[in-house]
Amino acid sequence: MEAIRKAAVIGAGVMGAGIAAQFANAGVPVLLLDIVPEGSKDRNALAASAIAKMLKTEPAPFMSARAAKLVSPGNIEDHLAQLAECDWIVEAVVERLDVKQALYAKIDAVRRPGTAISSNTSTIPLRLLIQGLSDAFARDFLITHFFNPPRYMRLLEIVAGERTDPQLTQSIADFADRALGKSIVHCKDSPGFIANRLGVYWLQVGVIEALDAGLTIEEADAIVGKPMGIPNTGVFGLIDLVGLDLMPHINASLAKALPPADAFHAANRELPLVKKMIAEGYTGRKGKGGFYRLNRAGGGKLKESIDLTTGAYRPQVKAELPEFAAAAKDLRKFLSSDGKFSRYAWRVLGQTLRYAASLIPEAAADINAIDEAMRLGYNWQWGPFELIDKLGAGWVADKLEKDGLSVPPLLHASRDKSFYRQDAGRRQFLGADGVYHDVERPAGVLMLEDIKRTSKPVLKNASASLWDIGDGVLCFEFTSKSNSLDDQIIALLGKTIPLVQEKYKALVIYNEGRNFSVGANLGLAIFAANIAAFGEIDKLLAAGQQTYCALKYAPFPVVSAPAGMALGGGCELLLHSDAVQAHAESYIGLVECGVGVVPAWGGCKEMLTRWSTSGMVPRGPMPAASKVFETVSTATVSKSAANAQELLYLRPSDRITMNRYRLLADAKALALQLAANYVAPKPVELKLPGTSGKLAFDMAVDGFYHRGLATDHDRVVADALAGVLSGGTADPIDVVTEEQLLNLERGAFMRLMKTEGTLARIEHMLVTGKPLRN
Amino acid sequence: MSNVVIAGYARSPFTLATKGALARVRPDDIAAQVVAALVERTRVNPQDIEDLIVGCAFPEGEQGFNVGRMIGLLSGLPQSVGGLTVNRFCGSSMQSVHIAAGSIQLGAGDVFIAAGVESMTRVPMMGFNPLPNPALNALVPAAYIGMGDTAENVANKWHISRADQEAFAVRSQQRAAAATEAGHFTAEIVPIKSKGGVVDKDGCLRPETTAAALSQLKPAFDKDGTVTAGTSSPLTDGASAVLVCSEDYARRNGLAPLARIRSVAIAGCAPEVMGIGPVAATTKALQRAGIKISDIDVVELNEAFASQSLACARDLGIRDDILNIDGGAIALGHPLGATGARIVGKAASLLKRVGGRYALATQCIGGGQGIATILERI
Repeated sequence: MEAIRKAAVIGAGVMGAGIAAQFANAGVPVLLLDIVPEGSKDRNALAASAIAKMLKTEPAPFMSARAAKLVSPGNIEDHLAQLAECDWIVEAVVERLDVKQALYAKIDAVRRPGTAISSNTSTIPLRLLIQGLSDAFARDFLITHFFNPPRYMRLLEIVAGERTDPQLTQSIADFADRALGKSIVHCKDSPGFIANRLGVYWLQVGVIEALDAGLTIEEADAIVGKPMGIPNTGVFGLIDLVGLDLMPHINASLAKALPPADAFHAANRELPLVKKMIAEGYTGRKGKGGFYRLNRAGGGKLKESIDLTTGAYRPQVKAELPEFAAAAKDLRKFLSSDGKFSRYAWRVLGQTLRYAASLIPEAAADINAIDEAMRLGYNWQWGPFELIDKLGAGWVADKLEKDGLSVPPLLHASRDKSFYRQDAGRRQFLGADGVYHDVERPAGVLMLEDIKRTSKPVLKNASASLWDIGDGVLCFEFTSKSNSLDDQIIALLGKTIPLVQEKYKALVIYNEGRNFSVGANLGLAIFAANIAAFGEIDKLLAAGQQTYCALKYAPFPVVSAPAGMALGGGCELLLHSDAVQAHAESYIGLVECGVGVVPAWGGCKEMLTRWSTSGMVPRGPMPAASKVFETVSTATVSKSAANAQELLYLRPSDRITMNRYRLLADAKALALQLAANYVAPKPVELKLPGTSGKLAFDMAVDGFYHRGLATDHDRVVADALAGVLSGGTADPIDVVTEEQLLNLERGAFMRLMKTEGTLARIEHMLVTGKPLRN
Repeated sequence: MSNVVIAGYARSPFTLATKGALARVRPDDIAAQVVAALVERTRVNPQDIEDLIVGCAFPEGEQGFNVGRMIGLLSGLPQSVGGLTVNRFCGSSMQSVHIAAGSIQLGAGDVFIAAGVESMTRVPMMGFNPLPNPALNALVPAAYIGMGDTAENVANKWHISRADQEAFAVRSQQRAAAATEAGHFTAEIVPIKSKGGVVDKDGCLRPETTAAALSQLKPAFDKDGTVTAGTSSPLTDGASAVLVCSEDYARRNGLAPLARIRSVAIAGCAPEVMGIGPVAATTKALQRAGIKISDIDVVELNEAFASQSLACARDLGIRDDILNIDGGAIALGHPLGATGARIVGKAASLLKRVGGRYALATQCIGGGQGIATILERI
C-alpha cells in the first residue's frame, strides 16, 4: 500500500471527529461522515457541527486553522462513493455490532480494493466485526484503537486479525507512527485490549477500595497519584475526566466479554453512589461536575468534593500528609507500613499489578506492550512491570500471597528476577519465554536516553551535558530543574561552540524532559536582585546575548529540537538556531512580559528580523514592529508547532515531527543536511520607527489600560518593550544594528528589574507558578 | 455665480469590516462600480465631467496611488476626466462635495463626481505605519486621541447618560430597519460584484437590537465609561458618490437635480471632544445661508457615536422627527471616507421624498473638526 493521501472517518462523535482532526493536523485531507439527521435541512449537519465544535474546544483538537480546513463534512447517504478516493477508512460509529456490520457492507461496496478499513471500537472483538464479511474485506480490516483526545494521547492500540494482511497492518502502523505521531502497541483480539482492560480494572479497584477503607476522594487521589507515578487526577479525578456515565457501560461490556474466572468480576461491584450521581447529571467535567465540582452557586467558585459516605458535596480538603510525600520517595516502605492509607495503596496497587501479570499472553505478547500502553494511554510514569521492578517481584508476590491472593504464573516465575535489565548498555525485558530480549525501538528512532546508557558525555556541568550522537553531530542537553536556563548552561554552550567548530559537523539542541525549557531561572534573578547584585544580572544577560549570537553565526549548523514548552530564553534559543525541528506539540513563546521583563537574550532582535523579512506585513517601519509588540507584550504562547509558525516563533521553513520518539533522529538528519555547504547567516539591517513608533505603541497600550485590559505594571513593561521594538531613538531612515538592539534589550530589562512591580511578578511566579496581574 | 446642485446619489452596500461581504473586495473596485453606476443612472455625459474627487481617510495601500485617479480609470470614465484624492478623515467625501461646488462657482468646471471610499478591512484605521509626532503629542496631548475616548469625553461633558445613548442606538437601528423594509435604500444601493457573488444588501444592520440587550454590553473604550460597541458606529467597508453640477448644466442636459447647495462650512474644535464639531460648523453654515435651525426640515447628522450625536442635536436644537429619518451610521455603518457623500446624497434625496425646504448634512471629524452642508429643495 502507498502513503495515505486522503482518509475518511465515519462517525462524527468525539472520537471520530478527533481522529479526523489528527489526520488534518498531519496535513492529510479527510472526509468526516455521519448519518443524515432526521428533519435536518443540512444533510451534513452532524459532521459540520462536530467540526464547528472542535474549533471551540480546549485543549484544541486542531493544531492550526489551516488544518481545520482539511476536514470535509459529509454524510453516509450522499458521500459514500467518495470513499473510493480514500486510502484509509476509519470507522468510529456507535458500539453496536449490527450497525457496524451494516456499514462495513456499504463501505465494501464502494471502496477501492486494498484500502485499509479500521474500527476504533474499544469493546467489540475483531473476529465478531468481520463475521460474514468477504475475505477481501477481512484482509484489509483491522482495529485501530485511539485514545481520547486523539491529538494529545500518544497511544494507538492495533489489533490485526488472523486474516489481516500483515503488510497492510505494517503500513497503517507506520503511517500512524510517523504521520499521526502515535506509538503503536500491538494487542491481541481480547476484550478491552490492553490499556483499558487494565485501566478500567485499576479505576474500579481504586473506587471500591476507597469506599471500603473509608477514605476521602482527595486522600485516595493523593495516594494513587504522585507516589505511584500516576497523574495527579488519581482515580476519582480521572473518572471525572473520562465521564462517570461511561463507567457502567464499559464495565458491563467487559463483564460480558471476560471469562468467569477473570479477576475483573470480583471488582465489578454495583456502585449506588455513582448511579445516583449519573441520574442527577453529575457525569464529570463534561457535565455539571463529578466526584469533584466547582460550585458556582451565589456567583462564587467553591471547589467541592463528594463525600463517599453521605453522597453529598462538601468543601474540598487538600490531602497533603507528610507520609504521602515520603511515599513518593520510598513507595515500598509506604506500602509495607500499617495504617489505612498504606493499606489502601497496597490494595489498589497490589491487585492492579497482579491483574497486569495475568494479562500475558491473553491480551499482550509481552510486558513491554503493557507498560507502554499504560505509560502512553494513561500517562503513567512507569508501567506496571516497571513498578514491580521498583518494589521487587519477589516482594510483591510474597505480599500478595500473604493477602491470600494467588500469584499469576508470570510473576511467580520472575520472583527472583527483574522484568527489565541492562545488558551491555541495551535495555532488555523478560519475555514470556523466560529469556531476556532487547527492548526494540521502531526503525529509525533515535533516543538520547539510549545513547546516554552506552556513552559518556563529551562535556558536562551541573546544568547541561553534551553528547556525541554519531555522524559528526553533537547533542546539547539541558539537565537543570525544568530545564531552566542559567549561567552554567550559557557557559557550557560557550565551550561547545569551538569544540563543534574544531571536530564536528553540526550541533543539535535537544532533551527528553517534559519541556524543552521553561526559560531562564527566575530564582537566580530574584536572588541577585534581592542582594542588589544587578551587575551579575547584567553580566548574565550579556553572556547570553553573546553566546546566542555566537551560535547563530558559528560556521556550523545549529538545529534545535523542542517538545513541550519552549519559553522565554528557551524560545530565544530556537530563534537563534539555523533551523528548528519541532515536535508538533511544542508550546513556544516569549513570555517575559508576564514576569515583568522583556526578552533580552536577543528575542526582540530576532523577532523583529523575522517579521521585517517575512514579506507577510506591509512595508514601512511600523508593521513588523507592531506584530512583534502584539505577540510579545501579551506573552503569547503557541498552541502547537504549526501555530508557532503562524506567530513566526518558528520559520515557515522549520520542520515538524509528529512522533515524539522520532524528534532527535529528524533533527540530526536536518543538521547533517544543512552541514553540507553550510554558510552562516549574515546580520539583517533593520529600519525601525523610533520615538514616533514608541508613541504609537504607548497610545495603543493606553487604550487597553482604559478598557481595563491592561494593568498598571503592564503599562510599565509595555512601555519598556515599546522602547526596544521601536529601536529607541532610531530615525526611520537609519539602519539599526543588532548590537544596538541588544543594548536596548538589556537596558530595558535592567530598568524593569529595579521596579517593585517586576520583582513582585517574579516572586509570585516562583511561589504560585502563575503570572501576577499587578 | 452659478448655483450648484446635487444631481444624483449612489452608494455600495455598507458591510462590516473583516467579516462582511465586501471584506475581500478592494476598495478601489467597490468605488469604481459605484461611480460607473452613478454615471449610468444619472445619464450624465461622462465627457463633460471635469474631475472625480474621492474622499478617503487612510489613502494608502489599496487606497493609495492617488486612488481618485485609479477609481476613475477603473470605472471607465474618459481619460480626460481628472482624479483627486481628498483627506479630511470622516469629513473627506463631504469635502469632495465642497471642492466640487467651489470649483463650479469659480468657473473651474460644470460637472464633478464627489465620491468617498473606505475599506476598514483592508486598510486599518491609523494606517499601516502610524508615526505620531512626539513633539506634537507633548504640545497638544489630545492631537492623536482615540475616537472612542472622545466619545466618552463628550458623554461626560454634555451629560449624555448611557441609557440615552442606548435609546438613541435602538432608534437608529429601528429606523434603518424600517427604511430597509420600505425599500428606501433600494434606489441608492449599487450591487457590488465580489468573488462570493453580488453583494446588494447592507450588512451592518442589527434590527433585533433592544435597549435591554445593549445595557448588557461592556464599555468599549473605558472600563468605567458609558460608550459601548452598540452605541458606536461599526468598522465598515463601502463607497459612495454624488453628482455635483451647475444648475444650468443640469437644466440644459435634462438631469434631475435633487437639491441645491445653499451653504457649506468647516470649523475646528478641541480634539478631545471632536464629536461636538458639527455644532460650530452647522452654526456657521446656517449663518451663511441666512436661516435658523428651525428652518431645517431634514437633518443627516453622522452617528459616529450616540453620545456625540445626542450632544450635537441638543446643542443645535434639532427636532427628533427630522433627524436621521432612515437611521444613521450606528446602524448602517461608517466607512470613514464614504460617509460624507452618503449623508449629502441622503439629505438631498430625503428633501425630495419628505418635502420641506432645507436640509442639513453634518459630521464630526477626528482631530477636532466639524463640517456642514445646507441644501435647498429645487
